[in-house]
Amino acid sequence: MLHMIPGDPVSIALGPRATPEIQAAYAAKMHLDKPLIYQFLIFMGNVLQGDLGADVFSDRSVTTTMAEQLPFTVTLAVSAIGWAALVGIPLGCLSALKPNTWLDRFTGVLSVGTIAIPSFLVSIWAILLFSVTLRWMPVIGAGESGNILDQVHHLILPAFAVGLGWVGYLARMVRASMLEVMGENYIRSARAFGLRSRTIIFRYALKVAILPTITLIGIGFGSLLSGAVFAEIIFSRPGIGKLIYDMVLSRNFPVIQGAVLVTVGLYVFVTLIADLVVSWLDPRVRDSL
Amino acid sequence: MDTKNLLEIRNLNVDFKTPRGRVHALREVSFNAPKGKIVGIVGESGSGKSTVIWAMTQLLAGNGVVEGGEIYFNGKNVLDFSEDELRAFRGEEASIVFQDPMTSQIPVLSYSQQMSDIAYRQRNKSFREKIEHSKQIMRKVGIPDTEQRVYQYPHQFSGGMRQRAGIAMALLMNPLMLIGDEPTTALDVTMEAQIIHLLRSLQEELKSTVMIVSHNLGLIAELCDEVVVMYAGEVVEQGGIRQIFHNAKHPYTQALLECDPARVSNRARFLPTIPGDLPDLHIRPNGCVFAPRCKYALQRCEQDRPETYVIEGTHNTKCHLLDSSRDQFGTSSTIERQVSKTETYDSSLKNIIDFEKPPILNVENLNVRFEIMGPLQALLRRNRKRFVDAVLDVSLHLRQGETLGLVGESGSGKTTLGRAILGLVPSSRGSVEFDGRLLTDLSESVLRNLRQDMAMMFQDPIGSLSPRKTVGALIAEPFSLHRKDKKNLEEEARKLCDMVNLPHSFLNRYPHELSGGQARRVGVARALALEPKLIIADEPTAGLDVSVQGEVLNLMRDLQARRKLSYLIVTHNLPVIRHICDRLAIMYLGRIVEQGNGEMIFQKPAHPYTEALVHGVPQPDPDKRRNLVSIEGEVPSLTNRPSGCEFHNRCKYVQEKCKTLMPQEKVLPDGRTVQCHFPLIN
Repeated sequence: MLHMIPGDPVSIALGPRATPEIQAAYAAKMHLDKPLIYQFLIFMGNVLQGDLGADVFSDRSVTTTMAEQLPFTVTLAVSAIGWAALVGIPLGCLSALKPNTWLDRFTGVLSVGTIAIPSFLVSIWAILLFSVTLRWMPVIGAGESGNILDQVHHLILPAFAVGLGWVGYLARMVRASMLEVMGENYIRSARAFGLRSRTIIFRYALKVAILPTITLIGIGFGSLLSGAVFAEIIFSRPGIGKLIYDMVLSRNFPVIQGAVLVTVGLYVFVTLIADLVVSWLDPRVRDSL
Repeated sequence: MDTKNLLEIRNLNVDFKTPRGRVHALREVSFNAPKGKIVGIVGESGSGKSTVIWAMTQLLAGNGVVEGGEIYFNGKNVLDFSEDELRAFRGEEASIVFQDPMTSQIPVLSYSQQMSDIAYRQRNKSFREKIEHSKQIMRKVGIPDTEQRVYQYPHQFSGGMRQRAGIAMALLMNPLMLIGDEPTTALDVTMEAQIIHLLRSLQEELKSTVMIVSHNLGLIAELCDEVVVMYAGEVVEQGGIRQIFHNAKHPYTQALLECDPARVSNRARFLPTIPGDLPDLHIRPNGCVFAPRCKYALQRCEQDRPETYVIEGTHNTKCHLLDSSRDQFGTSSTIERQVSKTETYDSSLKNIIDFEKPPILNVENLNVRFEIMGPLQALLRRNRKRFVDAVLDVSLHLRQGETLGLVGESGSGKTTLGRAILGLVPSSRGSVEFDGRLLTDLSESVLRNLRQDMAMMFQDPIGSLSPRKTVGALIAEPFSLHRKDKKNLEEEARKLCDMVNLPHSFLNRYPHELSGGQARRVGVARALALEPKLIIADEPTAGLDVSVQGEVLNLMRDLQARRKLSYLIVTHNLPVIRHICDRLAIMYLGRIVEQGNGEMIFQKPAHPYTEALVHGVPQPDPDKRRNLVSIEGEVPSLTNRPSGCEFHNRCKYVQEKCKTLMPQEKVLPDGRTVQCHFPLIN
């Protein structure tokens, strides 16, 4: 894909005044004169050795850059999904237990609303309200390094903006699967055995209904790793999303390659973790492994 | 309230609110359950028999309302209970064994967790004591290795064991009343017999009161002391087991008993049916609820609601025909049990089997093998088999106009065999010859053309019809699938409708608007559309009420006689298949263990497994109760086939030789083949 965008890596790296000889030597060093498939194989070989290549401009190792940027994105994704889950799951649960009440209607409207509003819009409004008008929250950056409180303070608005849409998703998902589970035969039989409704809801229904939600959280976390780009740009936070954005603008191929690879790798890893959690909770899945 | 009754239900009325108005699901239901007795509630689907249980435990679906009546349990009216009293009542005083142990037990909790949850009220007991108690109950219901099994999950139990665990859970709090809601419907015949036996011995031991709700007359006859017959939300007749089964007075009870294929002993006739459909319960019926389908209906039956007429002791019924005061209608003796004049099987149809021509279907040594894990997985866990043999060396043949029944328990490979014959499942070895052509060698495109001559009737009648198409479109679908340009598809659909006795008005309906029997008829019409020579029917009567089963089978038989069809019928329902099959093939673990003339097999089974199956069917006659379970244990897993004769570990005639040596197929003097070292007849 990147090779189709105008902009030759060699002329970008060396500037417009480089002689053809220097250009050729650089291309040979970076294997750019070889066919695309060969370049890819060399790159993958290097990756397996922990070498993601070097920045075209600064010659810094991409691995180091990634190690610097990744924690910011991971923190943002974790806190966004975290608060979304803490609010969305109980909300979905409650509205499933009392269907067609005002709470259920409210959750329904809220879910559709939060899913529909794009996160960059939420970010801008949040900045307007909390930072510009009320002056409660800082606008840009990730806070001073070493000062945890300051960093948390800087995290609140972006996490709120990114996570809001997920509140709606999770509430809807939990509501749907909870409603389905509450209609299952085994819930009726638990009632018929005279179990307390507390036990039935939290021990029986929720344990089954939460399973698809865990998978969803895994996928959500993965997509936030790269999807946080809007929040990172608007709040000027360091992170993978912002890095990729900047590097695409400057055609810094090795960094883009490295960042995409790391994000994809993390995505796969997190989804795997989610599946493992599901198999830990569901003995049927455990036995079929 | 009589103290010898544990349960007294008085004039119970239950409505369900639906978008189309109220459904009057139960109307004036009254009956008693005497202490220490087994009471059976019998009725077809839609009779409201399960609604009685749910009303009694106050667990009706959200749109259900009790509109009146009293339910006295042990002297107290359940309908007056508070939420806390109800919770104590459920599980402690009345406990339910559910129909389908597959869906009624939570899959994510182990039995130890589920049972200790039920025992939460025993606060003085520690968790360990609760588990010990659970193990004790599990042993009592015949679950082996309770030390380990109590910690297992429902999916790790087989069907029969799971139902035993369900009984154990119901017994855990030592309830005054045990309620079985279709407790054996989801099980195989051999399992059913074991569960019936277990319930009876438990009742004798615990002296508890049991209530069994079922559509299965055989189960009721085997188990119960008192019977309540329900139809369309009303109790039409009740009484002692022999009074109901031997001296039924209500025309519905009589018709129901007559329809049961296990009761009909003479094979050579059409099965009796009850024509008509259940009344629409949105409208409260004015007269007798059964009048529209009753063959003795009088004018009065349509207008007046019948009172309860006491016949003798507890035996009473709601039927005008028993009103001794009436004069111009004749005497009550006219409805004494009479064998209905259903058409006897026309003898001219008997010889439609064409013995001149070679068989239309010839299967030789067919094998179907499924991969259960990939090579990598097999490598990771050594010494596990990668393949299972679902069908092993099966040979059979079918002549034109003949019906072959393929019988076996679940997991015997009978459905797989049916699909393999059609080429829907690839076979690994052996050959299938149809109409002189070898199917196993043909390419998919040639095979597709040949499938016009072989049709399949699927097991789930409604599920196998696309919900978005009208009946007319569904019936005409085979024409477009096989690119048969019939000029007038509607005309064809109407013709097929006539053939399966479906009114033309149904052509514009959608599958969900059909009853089970109607959906079956659409299935038959679809199968017949391209005028096939062979129809493979997978459980053609599964899920149908006895009064409708006959209708479908009679239709199939009638069409066979008119069109010289050959049928291969795959089923686990022996009584039904007896009335339609010329020959039977009994399958066990993918092999055919006995094959031959159907009636001979029924009269004198040669293989011990066949005998167990034939004797496993509960007879709808309380005088024919079995004292012994004909077969113990369960079907072994296909991954772990027993050595020698694969049936030896469940066979009651087992000898040393059977344990090591695999029996060869023998041909008996009457032409049957049997795979057994010691056939029961010589």
